[in-house]
Amino acid sequence: MKKDEKFSEEQLNAFVDGELDPEEKSRLYNESARSPDLDKRLCQQRKVKDLVQHAYQHVPPPDYSGRAPLARRGFFGIAVAAGLLVAIGLTAGFFAHKSMQSQQIGAAPVAANASQPGTHTDKYLLHVVSGDPAHMRAALEHATHLLESADAGEFREIEIIANEQGLDLLRSDVTPYAKEIATLQQNDVVFYACSKTIERLEEKGVEVHLVPFTNPDYTALDRVVTRMQEGWTYEKI
Amino acid sequence: MVGSMIPGINQRRAFRKLLSNSRDRLYRMAYAWTHNPHLADDLVQQTLCKALSNRKQLRDPGAAEAWLFRILSNCLKDHYRAKHEVLSAEELVIVDSRTPQHETEEQQLVRKVRQAISKLPLPQCQVITLVDLEGFTYATVADVLEIPVGTVMSRLCRGRRSLREFLTDIRPQPELVRPAKLMEVK
Repeated sequence: MKKDEKFSEEQLNAFVDGELDPEEKSRLYNESARSPDLDKRLCQQRKVKDLVQHAYQHVPPPDYSGRAPLARRGFFGIAVAAGLLVAIGLTAGFFAHKSMQSQQIGAAPVAANASQPGTHTDKYLLHVVSGDPAHMRAALEHATHLLESADAGEFREIEIIANEQGLDLLRSDVTPYAKEIATLQQNDVVFYACSKTIERLEEKGVEVHLVPFTNPDYTALDRVVTRMQEGWTYEKI
Repeated sequence: MVGSMIPGINQRRAFRKLLSNSRDRLYRMAYAWTHNPHLADDLVQQTLCKALSNRKQLRDPGAAEAWLFRILSNCLKDHYRAKHEVLSAEELVIVDSRTPQHETEEQQLVRKVRQAISKLPLPQCQVITLVDLEGFTYATVADVLEIPVGTVMSRLCRGRRSLREFLTDIRPQPELVRPAKLMEVK
């Protein structure tokens, strides 16, 4: 602060940010009326603030609708996926999107077993993020345990979604657990590979090959949010 | 252990609404911090995932927004820590793919300001954007970034001083900079 400046830069910032107490604010108003220099300094501070606000006033959010290329779609059918994309539209809200997904994809094979009379269904979504084989194995073992520990009359619906480094679990050329995954799939466990993670890898020039019957149509976040909205138990491994 | 993470219908609805309402704002902030649309999108996804899995940690619903932005900030820290990288200003996608020749004056201005922001050290950029874009108080910013209020003020001061220097040739436009109303307010 210069000797002739009664107000520090911090005080001027606090003024333009509405952080000054009323007494100090009044003092600054009064002083600015007498001092063109102070008035100019205040205007400069406000100008910087206004420019920042202006520069980020319109930051278009990313397209939250289906992100995986249609060529990769297959498990639940191109028609459903394309229909979703059209129906969702570019401006559809985040949770409106989730709601539509849950309605239309409700016809997925696993769900068909879910609500038979006299049965009780527990639903679990296991989320694998880590590329550590021990974590992957833990997820698969946990899914196996959930299936085996179900009581008579109790049905357990299980999905496993992998993203980030955890995607290695579902990459056919990388995973150490292809057989275990196939066994779980035979027991109606559904595997999802995060479309966003696949997209990122492909952008880096990595060819992504998934184990058979893996669904690459959703981002991990989309799947987690949808399933949690539907009351599934979510577990991050 | 398997355990239900569903606290109650009303709480769930409120939490969903919070995430829904915050997503675009989180993205704008992540973009302002990184100027990289893909990275910003990833950070927001990670933030929402973490918020979902840790929502029981949110004790005070009134502090929910600060909590979300704190998670975002931590995701960014984790990202840079993991990648050991800091993007240079030249690598950043500041506005879009249009060439300067095709930019309107408005777009040029936006690009220039964003470039200036991207040149700031990240801690200064974070403080400025949290205050200016989200309108957070200094105390809230201190809470989000887990730093003392005094540090918020000093970073804000240094950051705005640098911006003033970067943007020195930008003249006030009527729609951008309100004329000084200090006399009137008095």
